[in-house]
Amino acid sequence: MLHYSFCKPGHLIEALQVLSEYGGRARIAAGCSNLLPDLKARHLQDCLLVDISELEGLRGIQAEGDWATVGSLTTIAELAVSPLLREGAPLLWQACQSFGDPLVRNRATLGGNLGHASPAADTAPPLLAMEASVATESLSGGRREFPIAELFAGPGRTNLRPGELILSLRFPLFQGKHEAFVKFGLRDAMAISLASAALSLRLHDGLMQDVRLAYGSLAATPFRATRTEECLTGMPFNEETLSLASAQAQGEVRPITDVRASSSYRRQLAGALLRQAARAALS
Amino acid sequence: MEIQSDVKVKIRVNGTAVSATVQAGDSLLDFLRNQARATDVKCGCNQGDCGTCTVIYDGKAVKSCLVLAAQADGKEVRSLRGLMEDPLMQSLQNAFVECGAVQCGFCTPGMLVASWSLLQENSNPTRGEMRQGISGNLCRCTGYKKIIDAISLAAAQHVVTDGTANLADLADRLDGQAQAKANYLLLGGG
Repeated sequence: MLHYSFCKPGHLIEALQVLSEYGGRARIAAGCSNLLPDLKARHLQDCLLVDISELEGLRGIQAEGDWATVGSLTTIAELAVSPLLREGAPLLWQACQSFGDPLVRNRATLGGNLGHASPAADTAPPLLAMEASVATESLSGGRREFPIAELFAGPGRTNLRPGELILSLRFPLFQGKHEAFVKFGLRDAMAISLASAALSLRLHDGLMQDVRLAYGSLAATPFRATRTEECLTGMPFNEETLSLASAQAQGEVRPITDVRASSSYRRQLAGALLRQAARAALS
Repeated sequence: MEIQSDVKVKIRVNGTAVSATVQAGDSLLDFLRNQARATDVKCGCNQGDCGTCTVIYDGKAVKSCLVLAAQADGKEVRSLRGLMEDPLMQSLQNAFVECGAVQCGFCTPGMLVASWSLLQENSNPTRGEMRQGISGNLCRCTGYKKIIDAISLAAAQHVVTDGTANLADLADRLDGQAQAKANYLLLGGG
């Protein structure tokens, strides 16, 4: 017999106390767009649902100089209408435009999308390419901040410590780079991406520099394709470069076969999305 | 802070406060249908895909199967029934009928609430924006064209009511059947 219980901490410390006490039996409830389907499908055993949706101080976008801090309870809809992100962090902004559907965007939170650690999380490739950092807190370990690349451990698994809560994401704004986020799904809305890519780069004298390329759904976690980045760095933007880099990308990704696509199809998508992203970024 | 399996909630549904005891894992949809008896809110997939359970929750259009009932304590929910006196909703309902945007009708309550929410935020959307606006709502009958036609027609009627209409511009944005209906309704036929 499955048994769920519920609590609603009034402030952050109380939330951290209950997360610490219940450890793996606690499930965080915020936007619930992953949690409720899991509950209804009985994928979750006995657990305590910890409603953090109204904790103060974890919601909103703050800019300090050329850096933005986004609270983990900020909804995707709030990110998608932010003029600051549209101008200052277009990769993340673009990913939020096509995230789920408008009804889901009104509920889903940035912290939830990352903490759920789906390889297909749409906000992960932009944040990886922007080299964002994650701020967390736990009762025993206090606050810490680390690169987002260290967050993901595997499908549905993070490197968060027991009882640790994501507080916010921090990333640089107005980088003045050419950038594009592209994704491919079986339909435009409410489709789990078969593959997604976030690309940013600068052009110096016609040559690509500061290249960042991150993929979603093409390995056990969202990840930076650093060898493909190197392959593009210092090269001119032309068909030959794109062919070489696409071949490199196809070798660098580690996709699985599942109900949505085979691994060899996804491998081809790695190259196709790189071309698309590069053309979109430089158009 | 209490840890509860059964949670007492008080949720305002279409203007009336409903007090009930919900289970920790119940969704707002469970509460609306089984306890508040708001059966105009339909249960389709129950996993956030189909959108027929769409309601206005805390001022935003959401899928009620993706909200925990316990989380909704103290919140305000409006379903289609709670919007029936609203002039914009009435325009949408009439336009859905005019354009044949209802076939089996199962998606219709969610479609109407999502369309209403779209037009509240953007009174003059393009057809592309309308498609995006209802992209979280599945219809297996109409192929969406007639639904988009109906939203266009309702939007056009509202622009006319606002007195800001340019009929030639409006006719350009409407498509197919909606254009014929609009000509009929807006240009004096109805």
